[in-house]
Amino acid sequence: MLAIENKQIDFFLKKLSEKYEIKDTRNDVLPFKKYFLPRGQKMFQKDSLNGEIKIAKPPKKFILFGLNSAELLSLTYLDEIMSAPQKDFFYFQNRKQSVVIGLIESENNTNCESGDIVFKKQDNYYIVAINTKTGEKLIIQNKEFFIELTDSLKNTPADLPNKSIILNNENNWTKEMKNLLLDPETLKNAVELTRENKIWEELAEICLGCGVCSYVCPLCYCFSLEDKVELSGACSRCRNWTACTLPEFSKISGNHNFRPTIKERYYNWFFHKFVRGYLEYGASQCVGCERCKIYCPAKIDILEILKRIIQEYPKIKN
Amino acid sequence: MNSYLPRQVKILKIEEQSPIVKLFRITPILGNFKKNKNGLIFIPGQFVLVGNIGYGESAFGPLSSPYENEFLEIAVRNTGGIVTNYLHSLNEGDIITARGPFGNGFPLNFLKNKDVLTATGGCGVPPIAALIEYIIENRNNYHKIYLLYGAKSPDEILLKNKQERWKNKGINIILTIDKPSPAWSGHIGFITDIIKEIEIDEQNAAVVMCGPGPMMDAIEHIVKPLGISDRKIFVNMERKMQCGIGKCQHCTTGSKYVCIDGPVFNYDQIENNRD
Repeated sequence: MLAIENKQIDFFLKKLSEKYEIKDTRNDVLPFKKYFLPRGQKMFQKDSLNGEIKIAKPPKKFILFGLNSAELLSLTYLDEIMSAPQKDFFYFQNRKQSVVIGLIESENNTNCESGDIVFKKQDNYYIVAINTKTGEKLIIQNKEFFIELTDSLKNTPADLPNKSIILNNENNWTKEMKNLLLDPETLKNAVELTRENKIWEELAEICLGCGVCSYVCPLCYCFSLEDKVELSGACSRCRNWTACTLPEFSKISGNHNFRPTIKERYYNWFFHKFVRGYLEYGASQCVGCERCKIYCPAKIDILEILKRIIQEYPKIKN
Repeated sequence: MNSYLPRQVKILKIEEQSPIVKLFRITPILGNFKKNKNGLIFIPGQFVLVGNIGYGESAFGPLSSPYENEFLEIAVRNTGGIVTNYLHSLNEGDIITARGPFGNGFPLNFLKNKDVLTATGGCGVPPIAALIEYIIENRNNYHKIYLLYGAKSPDEILLKNKQERWKNKGINIILTIDKPSPAWSGHIGFITDIIKEIEIDEQNAAVVMCGPGPMMDAIEHIVKPLGISDRKIFVNMERKMQCGIGKCQHCTTGSKYVCIDGPVFNYDQIENNRD
């Protein structure tokens, strides 16, 4: 079994930086999606002289490092979402240029399948899971940073206390959230059937409609196409982040707004994650990363809302 | 395939349809529009995204015959928004962009061998116009056809120059306006009187609609009393279509995407939709 020592990880990244640009996501507020769906990404440029429309070029090859288990799961979801019903050209133009290395700190998590390589904490090491040919090549080219873990090293009694600490690494919030996400059907019913519940009015009173929950969510991907005209006369079309809680989201020309109130927009955020998204992909569009709760200026806790509507919806059911 | 990539098109003709609506006839700068296996360049009810890089795009339902591959026509109401304002500032010969067609059109086969009542209001007439053009080309496959068309005032009735030809091809046109007007002797409002003029076999009839406000009135006052079941009512919906391929989320309504599941929906699919 191949492993890497904690202290070797930074040296490994330093070596990779000679050839690739390194995007280290470990301390980022905004999730990794910003590299595949960049804010304000240029899609097309119109030549100011001959009017020809040119497609923006892909970025250079890059290493995306440090995705945790929730983020790796959302990468799997995003890849699927962006493939159906037809491939999103610009997402995959960026995605193809990336080599993704996950970093899982807690031991009780088994999602190591997405990304090219995953480092998963075990005892004093990170076990290396290689998922793709690209990942394999990268490890072979840099084998000096890795060690072959023998059975004797793996099972030293001294490591045992450590293990129990790691097992508790996931906080209770995450555990509880992930537990709810195991039953997306219940979440779908709870959101769908509580549309008229007063909880959404209460939330509309608190929610600032700032869109931060969408921006920090590793899985929220809605966007707006925005055009720009530069002083030189050059015109471009860009794709920018947006949030379904923002007032303009469903507003059309002539000022008609299909979701004029915060209540309708905030409910739609839940509806997409737990109803529409579930019907499309068979899983709730949430990975339990806790970001929306941590960064919400109004301190709205998605878990508390879900728990409450799960309690209330059986009363409404028929 | 890059569905976001717009195609450059040239404006062949601009026609003033009303004080705020212009018709644009556009053609690809190279070649013609591509026909599908049935010889159509779009299915009536589908939409195209027209605009230009630097200004943005808006969704329009083409109104010309879907069999015509040398050009396509759209009607643009100047709402004061960036795209429609820009389009209204242009001249014949100018180059703009278009992409599509997107979404699902009207159920052309389902409507076969039936009486078809089309109902629309204001700027909702273009997709209905394309359907009428299609039906005219396949006249023997369809029974009685009605166009029930409401506008605010007589000068806001669009496509007047096409209506004579439609009448000659056996399309029954019933026009109505919202408020009395000096030069108007026809119907006012979607009143139940109109039903007397419609002679259809309700067991073998379907309804096709486009346009929000007057449409609901028409359902309430005319379609329901005629006894046509919801299953046979089709509605062309409007939302904020941006990407056209079911990604951006702007056009969602309930669990549906108007850009890929619609814009044409069966009435019973959306009747209870509160989003």
